[in-house]
Amino acid sequence: MNLKKVLSADTVWVDLKADTKQGIIEEMIDRLVAAGKIKNRSAVLEAVLDREAKMSTGMQNGVAIPHGKTDEIKTLVAAVGLNKAGVDFDAMDGEPCTIFIMTLSPLKRTGPHIQFLAEVSRLISQASDRDRLLACTTHQEIYDLLTGK
Amino acid sequence: MQETAHAATNVVHHAAAAAEHLTEASGHSITHLMMLLIIQLAVIIIAAKFGGFLFQRYLKMPSVLGELASGMLIGPYALGGMFDIPGIGILFSEHMGFAASAELYGIATLASIILLFLAGLETDLAAFLRYSVVGSFVGLGGLIAAFTLGDLCAVFWPGNGIDRFMDPAALFLGVISVATSVGITARILAEKRKMASPEGVTILAGAVFDDVLGIVTLAIVMGLAKVEMGGGEVNWGAIGWIALKAVGFFVVVTALGLTFARKITGAIKQFRSREMMVSTCFGLALLLAGLAEMAGLAMIIGAYIMGLALSRTDLAHEIEHHLEGVYNILVPIFFCVMGMMVDFSAMKPVLIFGSVYSILAVISKVVGCGVPAYLMKFNLRGSLRIGLGMLPRGEVALIVAGIGLASGIIDQGIFGVSIMMTVITTMLAPPLLVKSFEGGSGLRKEMEGTGEDIEVIELEFPSHDIAEFLLHRFIQALQEEEFFVHNLHTDQPTYRVLKDDIAFTLIQDGDKVVVNVPRANQHVARMILLEELLSLSDLLESTKQMKGLDKMGTDLMQGMFA
Repeated sequence: MNLKKVLSADTVWVDLKADTKQGIIEEMIDRLVAAGKIKNRSAVLEAVLDREAKMSTGMQNGVAIPHGKTDEIKTLVAAVGLNKAGVDFDAMDGEPCTIFIMTLSPLKRTGPHIQFLAEVSRLISQASDRDRLLACTTHQEIYDLLTGK
Repeated sequence: MQETAHAATNVVHHAAAAAEHLTEASGHSITHLMMLLIIQLAVIIIAAKFGGFLFQRYLKMPSVLGELASGMLIGPYALGGMFDIPGIGILFSEHMGFAASAELYGIATLASIILLFLAGLETDLAAFLRYSVVGSFVGLGGLIAAFTLGDLCAVFWPGNGIDRFMDPAALFLGVISVATSVGITARILAEKRKMASPEGVTILAGAVFDDVLGIVTLAIVMGLAKVEMGGGEVNWGAIGWIALKAVGFFVVVTALGLTFARKITGAIKQFRSREMMVSTCFGLALLLAGLAEMAGLAMIIGAYIMGLALSRTDLAHEIEHHLEGVYNILVPIFFCVMGMMVDFSAMKPVLIFGSVYSILAVISKVVGCGVPAYLMKFNLRGSLRIGLGMLPRGEVALIVAGIGLASGIIDQGIFGVSIMMTVITTMLAPPLLVKSFEGGSGLRKEMEGTGEDIEVIELEFPSHDIAEFLLHRFIQALQEEEFFVHNLHTDQPTYRVLKDDIAFTLIQDGDKVVVNVPRANQHVARMILLEELLSLSDLLESTKQMKGLDKMGTDLMQGMFA
């Protein structure tokens, strides 16, 4: 799928600051609010935390995919962020997470939402791909890497 | 127009003559005719269903072969023509060289229209337009090879009176051997868990191309044959014009259909009654079938186009579901009637021709589909698998042969030859295909690792019901993600999931849900599956909270024994 349709240069960040799971989720949502992608911050936060309560989205090898569904969102909102120091995200392998992929979708969604998560996950499924992503120093570099420029 | 009228009169003539013949012979009223028809239908339905069941259950062959065999058995050239039943007479008799009465043939025609309408509805036009490049070449290669060899076989065979490539009978032998019936291949691929293999994906994609292009070819051939039958002169300019008209009809009507389908279904939905919606759509399919015939093509082409137009609307599933019952009753009648038309005495002189034609039908698909596959990315083994997968002919070949016979383009002998080819290719395909899948990868060395890696995801549930429930939730979630999910109508519930270059299969195997997915695409399957598992646990949690379950039960049973 074409990630350019979903991602934009202002929804990819190399410099997430928070050092807790809750903090990372809130920071990503705050940045999305700042970018004008979200209006109702609290509803979105609740949706993402609800999903985390069911099962942590911290995967393996430093990847986490926090996501949620709420009717406060009209179309898919997606973001990718890095925290190179690593954050404890209750990951399956217990390791800190460094790469965060977030999607927010309407409850009654139709469209490639999970597929977006899957596509980004696929792009970084090899250690070398993740290293290259983590080596990015600017937002634009991440954007170019993920959208295949 | 004149030629159309001529061919149409031909059919009507047959029918009318048959009806007249019957009335004269029996001296009975229309009531008697109808009584005879109803008794014929009774015998046909029971015999066809029985034959189909036996073939499917005990011989592991498609039910259509059993239905054909029942028809041969009860037809006028076998049992049906032997016994004089008091009060009825001969149950099935030949009328003016035609094995079925006009009434009976009318019902069979209706069945063939339903069959093609549903085939159109199930066609994945999006996949046709953008899916597999290899699939398109495989489909096209098979079509060209099958058509050319089928036609040339008739031309070069001595003593059959066919000496030109453009002879209507030769064209028909060409077009009859075109349409692959991929149902049986799909079943074998599912059983052998090869559906998501590169060969499986290519075969299924090739079959979609084969379907659509086969109908276009039929449209062209019908146009040409009708002009020839009307005594019109066919030079290359005329051929081009007829082909252009046929393709034009197909493209323009399909495009119009696709453009207006949503508007039309939107308008129909105003009725807020499912029966109204389904019946109206079916009515439109019949109307377009009639218009196609008027335009010098065949009725089934119109029905197919209407199905294709509606296939992209949300009513498609509803129509399929509602017509399923009618389909199950009427379509076996069609195949049984086709079987009845096989005149064994007319077959004798053409048996050798039939064998050669059948062998060529095998070779043409194996080579025609195998060569493009070999040139693109498969090795010899893989190309053979693809060729064999495209081998079986079926429903459409029989329908086309029936049209040829009814319009007088082909005779009893050639009709028999067509049935013979259909039966031989359908029976040969399963054992050969199973055998061909032994051994290693079908991809060429340099292509290996580009998709051969199939990940098998297995989830076991405590019961069949929960597995089925999750499978349906999963399918719904996939559709929400805009994947195309196709039910392959196999005994074991099997679905093919497609989107862009992603293709995988879902199978419900008792208490288990099995996903066969290429490693490169496993992320999306696993993630969607996880979300559905989590929603399932939500649901289970919420049922636990239904504290009043006992009370609900008591309320329900209260007062039953006053």
